[in-house]
Amino acid sequence: MDTSIAIRDIARKLFDEKRVNLIIGFEQGSIPLHSTPCFVRNASEVDRLIWNANCENNLAKYLPKIKERVGIVAKGCDVRSIIGLIKEKQITREQVFIIGIPCQGIIDRRKIEARLGGEEIMEAEEENDTITLKGHNFKATIKKEEFLHDSCQACAHKNPVIYDTLIRDNVVEGQTVDGYKEVKEFEAKSPDERWQSFSDEVSKCIRCYACRNACPFCYCQECFVDSSQPQWIGKTTNLSDTAIFHIIRAFHLAGRCVDCGACDRACPMGIDLRKLSKKMEMDIKELFHYEAGISLEDVPPLATFNPDDPQEFIM
Amino acid sequence: MPLSSYDEIHETELNIMENQMPQPEGKADKWEPKIIAFLCNWCSYAGADLAGVSRLQYPPNTRIIRVPCSGRISPLLILRCLQHGADGVLVSGCHPGDCHYISGNYVARRKFAVLNNFLEYLGIEKGRVQFAWVSAAEGKKFAQLVQKITEDVRKLGPATKLVRKQV
Amino acid sequence: MKEVEIAKTDVVSLLDNLVRDYKVFAPVGQNSFVTFQEIHSGSEVSLDYINSKKPPKEIFFPQAERLFSYDLSKREGWRIEEPALKEQQSIIFGIRPCDARSLVLLDKVFDGKPYQDPYYTKKRKDTSIIALGCNQPCSTCFCTSLGGGPFSQDGSDLLLVDIGEKYTVQVLTEKGERLAKEHNEFKQAEPRSLSLMQDTIKTAESSIKPKIDVQRVIEKLDSMFDDHFWDLVSEKCLGCAICTYLCPTCHCFDITDEVMGQSGERVRTWDSCAFPSFTLEASGVNPRPANKERYRQRIMHKFNYFVANHGMAACVGCGRCIKECPVNLDIRVVLDSILNHQDAR
Repeated sequence: MDTSIAIRDIARKLFDEKRVNLIIGFEQGSIPLHSTPCFVRNASEVDRLIWNANCENNLAKYLPKIKERVGIVAKGCDVRSIIGLIKEKQITREQVFIIGIPCQGIIDRRKIEARLGGEEIMEAEEENDTITLKGHNFKATIKKEEFLHDSCQACAHKNPVIYDTLIRDNVVEGQTVDGYKEVKEFEAKSPDERWQSFSDEVSKCIRCYACRNACPFCYCQECFVDSSQPQWIGKTTNLSDTAIFHIIRAFHLAGRCVDCGACDRACPMGIDLRKLSKKMEMDIKELFHYEAGISLEDVPPLATFNPDDPQEFIM
Repeated sequence: MPLSSYDEIHETELNIMENQMPQPEGKADKWEPKIIAFLCNWCSYAGADLAGVSRLQYPPNTRIIRVPCSGRISPLLILRCLQHGADGVLVSGCHPGDCHYISGNYVARRKFAVLNNFLEYLGIEKGRVQFAWVSAAEGKKFAQLVQKITEDVRKLGPATKLVRKQV
Repeated sequence: MKEVEIAKTDVVSLLDNLVRDYKVFAPVGQNSFVTFQEIHSGSEVSLDYINSKKPPKEIFFPQAERLFSYDLSKREGWRIEEPALKEQQSIIFGIRPCDARSLVLLDKVFDGKPYQDPYYTKKRKDTSIIALGCNQPCSTCFCTSLGGGPFSQDGSDLLLVDIGEKYTVQVLTEKGERLAKEHNEFKQAEPRSLSLMQDTIKTAESSIKPKIDVQRVIEKLDSMFDDHFWDLVSEKCLGCAICTYLCPTCHCFDITDEVMGQSGERVRTWDSCAFPSFTLEASGVNPRPANKERYRQRIMHKFNYFVANHGMAACVGCGRCIKECPVNLDIRVVLDSILNHQDAR
């Protein structure tokens, strides 16, 4: 599509002008409805780069280890992650050439698979607003907007907040779903119901740490789960340790998570991780009037304080 | 005895769990709440000390861990207490503006606000984990605080939700 | 080999009968979230599935297993307790042939010479496998490249072939024969059923394409250890453990002590070569410091070292790693790249 060509043109230009040594983008995946991260190092490789509604990974994940000048294809949420990483000094603004993509949303494969009742998708062809799916016994055309990922439906910043070039025109901003609706519904339940619901979700966890590894903000050299002196949580899948993993990870991301949804999509067991991260996000907004990934100047909320911070809960 | 490293706090917490809590006479089988209190060295611990010197009575269910500053308290420490058998956790520091390290308690206040909301959201009973500012002169307040949290936790019953069980 | 058959309508009653005498594991769940669980009635089972999310290795090699527990707090003396290895005849029903093959592969690790793992072997010896072949292999299946197939008999005691209203059942072992005799839901196979079975098998086997020349991959890997190839191929890998935990043949584990004050337990848990801490030494040195070394290890182990040690590649082509990888790092693409790789000279 046009966007893919525009990305390739920019990439070629960047290499010709020697402005970057590496460009991180997406290329065609090996199975239907998948695109995959792609690392391109010279102009002869730029034709691999594509853009479509399956470009679901947050490529900002790859930035913290990079020491050279790098171009990165970034949709709205990825750009917010990059802002956070710059503030946390994991990469410099000068190092990164942001190829910004005003994003119309990413497809949630699981929603499609659920609608198809387990039928395998053999082919998928994307048009402007639709995707045509073919399987052994069916052919169906679906509207993209009906199968967007939950984080895309709740996204308030589809257009890159900062960028070095914008690949196409801005899209109309506006959430189609209130991102805190499920959080508020959850809060309305009784404490025991909430604990039961939370336990049921995290009991599915197999401690693969895909959520952590997909997250651009989980870049610690040693994650607390890997610490053996002291060993904060054990390595089994018992509920207590697994619950603490999820609680503390959500806490470590408080004020940093931009709701890109990468963790949710990475989880093989379908755990509703956003139930936790959206609550964090909502509280940070209410308590400290802060939204992550919007500005390069504001200070992360848990790294600062205000003499008038709320304290009614403190005796 | 100064406590500064993770290892030492860890050791102390676990030893507290495993040692017998003092039982009221004739009630050896009745459950008594086990409460861990993290007190900052400069204000809250001194306040607790003052309560002792003033011979103020308060329930014996609380074991105190002295930390340099309330800002040192990480949610991991609090959750670990609940995991290893504590029924309640009290965290106390200097009043805002009086921190020995200037801003430790300010930073802590934000963390505690987030943690307090989050634990309640997940269904951990309100009142198991409590926060306070106690100054070095507030011996009476400390005694009342311990009285309150002991009663609150007694009403909630033994903590079961985060307790680690055998494989 | 003998064949019998069973009507699809009799399967629930067969399972109900099996449940009375055996511990029965069968696929439970929906769509792509099917897992093998212990069932208590035939109606819990869903056989209309492609493959389970988690592999059945967890039945014999659980993700967390207690080796012993100890208690030092008792005044009467220290106590160390090993869990009793229970006598329990079990059946795994509805497993796919790739997963049945994976058990044969795991036997080489856990039930080899001269060492046997008692936790694994006890459960394994007491278990019979009733497999369900794949009429419609998935596009991510590549079992035929690894010596398997949609109706491979390796590792099964009975193999069910779906021919419409019934399953024909290939009786492959003595265990299978005993099961077939003990349950009258299994009837004499009709000749028409057998010919339908042959057709079904042929169609399924030919639908898996393309075939990867794994033998040549094994040979090429001998000379590729130091190649720059590994930097490029592993670049997008996140280093999570999805491919290793969901792989039916991956078997790396860690043994740690989980201590709760004066008591605790020694547990064996799944571990992954994808984690940096897997090879982290006490000194702080890590012989596999980056993603590159760890991803190289995964491929070399499966397609070179394991072959040298045990004579077969440590992969059954089930395709779970392909479906579940968050960055679509497709092992078939990697194997193709290895085959097409030109040595840098």
